[in-house]
Amino acid sequence: MTAFLQALASGLALGAIYGLIALGFNITYATTKTFNFGQGAFLVPGSLVGVSLLLLAAGKPHFGNLTQAEMTMTAYALATIASVVVVGAIGIALYYCAIKPFVGAGGLNWVLSTIGFGIIMQNTALAIWGPASIAVPSPLGSDVWRIAGAGIRPQEVLIAVVAVAVMVGLDIVLRKTRFGKALRAVAFNPQAAAIVGINVETIVILAFVISSALAGLAGILIAPITTASVFIGLGIALKAFSAAIVGGLTSPRGCMLGGFLLGIVEALVGLWRAEMREITIFLLIIIVLVVRPSGLMGARSVEKI
Amino acid sequence: MPALAHAIGLAVLAAALALVPLFGLNDFYLQILFTIGVNYLAAAGLNVLVGYAGQKSLGHAGLFAVGAYTAAIANIEWGLSPWLSLLLACGFGAVFGLVIAMPSVRVSGPSLAMVTIGFGIVVEKIVTEWTDIFKGQAGFYGISAPSIAGVSFTNLHWVWFVGALCIATHLMLRSLLAGRYGRAFLGVQMAEPAAQSVGISVVRAKTLAFVISAVTCALAGAVVAQQNQYFNSDFITFNLSIFLLVVVIFGGSGSLYGPLFGAVILTLLDAWLARWPALQHFTYGALLLFSLYLMPNGIAGAFSGLAARWRQGKVVPPAVPGHSALAATTAAAASGEILVVKDLYKAYGGIVPVRNVSFAITAGKVHALIGPNGAGKTTLLNLLSGHVAPGSGSIRFEGQEIAGWPAHRIACLGIARTFQNLKLFGELSALDNVLLGAHRHIETGFAASLLGLPSSRHAEATARADALALLGDLGLGDRAHEPAKSLPYGLQRRLEIARALASKPKLLLLDEPAAGLNPQETHELGEVIRRIQQAGVTVLLIEHHMDLVMGISQHVLVLDYGALIAEGRPEAIRRDPKVVAAYLGADDDAALTGDAA
Repeated sequence: MTAFLQALASGLALGAIYGLIALGFNITYATTKTFNFGQGAFLVPGSLVGVSLLLLAAGKPHFGNLTQAEMTMTAYALATIASVVVVGAIGIALYYCAIKPFVGAGGLNWVLSTIGFGIIMQNTALAIWGPASIAVPSPLGSDVWRIAGAGIRPQEVLIAVVAVAVMVGLDIVLRKTRFGKALRAVAFNPQAAAIVGINVETIVILAFVISSALAGLAGILIAPITTASVFIGLGIALKAFSAAIVGGLTSPRGCMLGGFLLGIVEALVGLWRAEMREITIFLLIIIVLVVRPSGLMGARSVEKI
Repeated sequence: MPALAHAIGLAVLAAALALVPLFGLNDFYLQILFTIGVNYLAAAGLNVLVGYAGQKSLGHAGLFAVGAYTAAIANIEWGLSPWLSLLLACGFGAVFGLVIAMPSVRVSGPSLAMVTIGFGIVVEKIVTEWTDIFKGQAGFYGISAPSIAGVSFTNLHWVWFVGALCIATHLMLRSLLAGRYGRAFLGVQMAEPAAQSVGISVVRAKTLAFVISAVTCALAGAVVAQQNQYFNSDFITFNLSIFLLVVVIFGGSGSLYGPLFGAVILTLLDAWLARWPALQHFTYGALLLFSLYLMPNGIAGAFSGLAARWRQGKVVPPAVPGHSALAATTAAAASGEILVVKDLYKAYGGIVPVRNVSFAITAGKVHALIGPNGAGKTTLLNLLSGHVAPGSGSIRFEGQEIAGWPAHRIACLGIARTFQNLKLFGELSALDNVLLGAHRHIETGFAASLLGLPSSRHAEATARADALALLGDLGLGDRAHEPAKSLPYGLQRRLEIARALASKPKLLLLDEPAAGLNPQETHELGEVIRRIQQAGVTVLLIEHHMDLVMGISQHVLVLDYGALIAEGRPEAIRRDPKVVAAYLGADDDAALTGDAA
């Protein structure tokens, strides 16, 4: 039972990470019918930029290991903001290089161009930080919290709290604000949105900035658990993509739900046999898609004849 | 590419392969040649799936693995000969192609990418983790290479062998893709509903494309395992899936020679940059990012503009004149009721576009279906053609119950249709559009088409001649080789009719054929419909042009709010108070005289 609770907790934390990234996929997909297939590479600067800034602030070279004393809550918060800003800004470059030339052209050229952008980013990171991974202490320390007998890592709680707060915040922004309305208008019909005075390109760029920033946030949140390295991204981003598809790429809440679902299934299967995690998850996804091709909460699209 | 240039190209390639020993290439260069061949094999099949059937796969590393592991296990564990292992690898490839096709054909877009990625990752994890059977990272050692007359393959032999496989694959795919199967794939990619309307099963076409790509990919994997004599799970990665897709798309998907360009250039680039791994990755990334921007259709696409200019004005007339489907009067023009609809009902939530409609269509006559906008006319047509499944009710065509049948099966019974919003195969020539219409009448089997047997070529030539005759008959003869989307609007409408007629239907459904036509074109359309009737084809048309409706139809059906409110002879309908009310919303008998719609 304690093992189950422990798995549930880490599943929720991991699921929150998937949900954050998946939500980013939803926001750009809604506006442009594209998203960043190379999103995994965006987690890399997310974790490494923040950690390196803290290292530099502590008077160390940009590459090394942080001590627990250097990782205060304030420092972590500042590092997180820096990561989100930097990766969000990279999202603008992503839009102009890899998305803009292919929007509306149909086909899957944007899949390859975003993968290409990701490869370039990952190798730039490799040139700056090298292949070794950096151990990142959690600002809440490494002592396991005992809740109902189950050992829960404080960073997992932090991840879940921050991620849920961001998700709820974005959900409100998307539903209630002028920006949210503009975003939905662009998603529904870009031409009509332009006619009523919405600057479609600005909205689309903002969508990519938000999506990238979410990936950056996910990168720095997960770093204390996975360590920060150039190679953490691909696996996580693939599962976030799966979460978005299973939950419904067209539904923001579906994407978040898909993230948590995937995280929990992964953790519980891992409890049974760790090597079966990926196999189970992806088989499950295939089955879900056969039954519901547009995902659990996605809108079914019908071609008009 | 013209036949002569093609033959010369192949001869040069074969001669170059034969002369490889004279160049004194060391094993490094032989390995590069071998790798080019393997990448071509995998990409050539994948191109059928991606470029022709329009299905993107990001999981073909899984099929590569199926071939490689079949070759390894069959040889080492089961003690089969390398030749037999190779055949078995293709067979297993086909089986797994079917397996991946089953979920894949049901989804599209990002979901399709997900399903194929999922398949690739599941295979990758299975061969990595299930070490009892697949040996994981340790891998299989000592996989035997095939031998001829007791001599095991050397690296030079491997280059020859793979070269021969590539040439054979190319010839087969070239023959297949030039004929009805290739057209069916393209048709499915460009306009699924239209492909169904000419009797093509979308599911079967996509499945076939998956199986073809699976077989060549598995063959490539098997050949790599045998040449390497060692294979482990490290070969099977998501990156391999991406690489195979890049070979196709960078080379030019949908072009027969795209995979060749892709395989040659990317393999050479890979080998040349291998000395600087960092640079290699940057180049790879930049290639993905920018090449598609500069060449949206890949290298082959960039060249095809030149080739098209060179080809212009070289239209070859058929040796024997064909028979136009319009001229060929059906011998026994059927009489009586060809289509009987009873209590047909369809609802979308609370909206009921078709509400318990019953009527009968008499063979040999022109019937018109009229009604105000939103009356449910197009939905009714979609129900008849099978593009939309009815909620309840019965549709009997020549005594056969067809309600709920898929569109392609209904088309095969002899019901053809056109679309209100044109659904032509835009990139294809007018001729190919009509040939797609004739799809179900071109009788050639898959094997015959793959091998380019005389029977298949003859069937193709006959169909071409017939299609050209039909196009000529409809005044489209001199535009037969232009892409459908470049025709003027009026001719596009006419081409849709030509495509429908090419399927030699018994019943033709026309959905607003005069929409957007000028008065002259509308008049000509009336003539065409008369000729269609004379050819023995029953017609049901939806139309708003009352001049046209009253001029050519013998029976008029009026639909309003999903219900049939009147039917009868045109003169009677014109004076029916219910019809007048439906059109004008009041009892005003000035209605329907002239162009009231």
